[in-house]
Amino acid sequence: MEKRGRGAKAPSVSAPQQPPVTPRKERRPSMFEKEAYAQILRERLRESIHDVQYVEPPFDDSIADLGKEWKSALAKLKFANSYRMEPLKKFQAHSVETKVQQILKESLQDVKYDDKVFSHLSLELADRILSSVKEFGYHRYKFIIKVLFIQKTGQAINIASRWIWDVAWDSWVSAKHETETFVALVLVFALYCE
Amino acid sequence: MEEYHRPCDECIDGVLGGEDYNQNNINQWTASIVEQSLAHLVKLGKAYKYIVTCAVVQRSPYGFHTASSCFWDTTSDGTCTVRWENRTMNCIVNVFAIAIVL
Repeated sequence: MEKRGRGAKAPSVSAPQQPPVTPRKERRPSMFEKEAYAQILRERLRESIHDVQYVEPPFDDSIADLGKEWKSALAKLKFANSYRMEPLKKFQAHSVETKVQQILKESLQDVKYDDKVFSHLSLELADRILSSVKEFGYHRYKFIIKVLFIQKTGQAINIASRWIWDVAWDSWVSAKHETETFVALVLVFALYCE
Repeated sequence: MEEYHRPCDECIDGVLGGEDYNQNNINQWTASIVEQSLAHLVKLGKAYKYIVTCAVVQRSPYGFHTASSCFWDTTSDGTCTVRWENRTMNCIVNVFAIAIVL
């Protein structure tokens, strides 16, 4: 606090007394302070670990390059402007929701929770829902489907999502299917690609 | 895409580091993790639409499966998942980035 006061007073002091203090001099933190901070952080995070699970697209593979070649070839073709600013058919959340709910019900009717079955059931379900959403025929939309299976063992789970997108055309749908042993949650995000 | 997991890591550490699972605060935590991650991603200043999902689960013997299937342009869009765990809880944050074609 006193530093700031000194800085403010400096300009008003007469010239012969040239104060070397600049108005915003940062206080050099003591050596112990820095150590203490790192220590506290380490202490807090001692019991936690984290790792990066999955990143796509893979950066070293040539798969990305393939796409790029095709893309640059495409760039040579000149497309006429379509002057289309909005999608032909706006994403209707309610019809997609009923369809997704129906698929969930059909495929998970009598399924009991089982580790091995579920790990590939989740992928299969995600692909199935993706193809059924594509069938709706929303042109120029990109879709993201997320499928979550949670076993019911009395623990609590909290799921949150936030997004940054175009509020006019982008939307999302969620469907839940609950049984005695597990809960299945499906999130569908639709984004208009301009 | 590789720099996306670092801001998420920092956000999770900042919010959940050293905390135990607490029913009262859990809503607040998930909301703040997601909002902070999103804010950091936007600061990167790239022309992308972002979707951030976060699931926080109490640690107990339970099974959890998650899958996602996406229909997008594989050359420009991508995703990143970060798993963070603690003595009392597990947290999974998923970031999807869709390119905006300018």
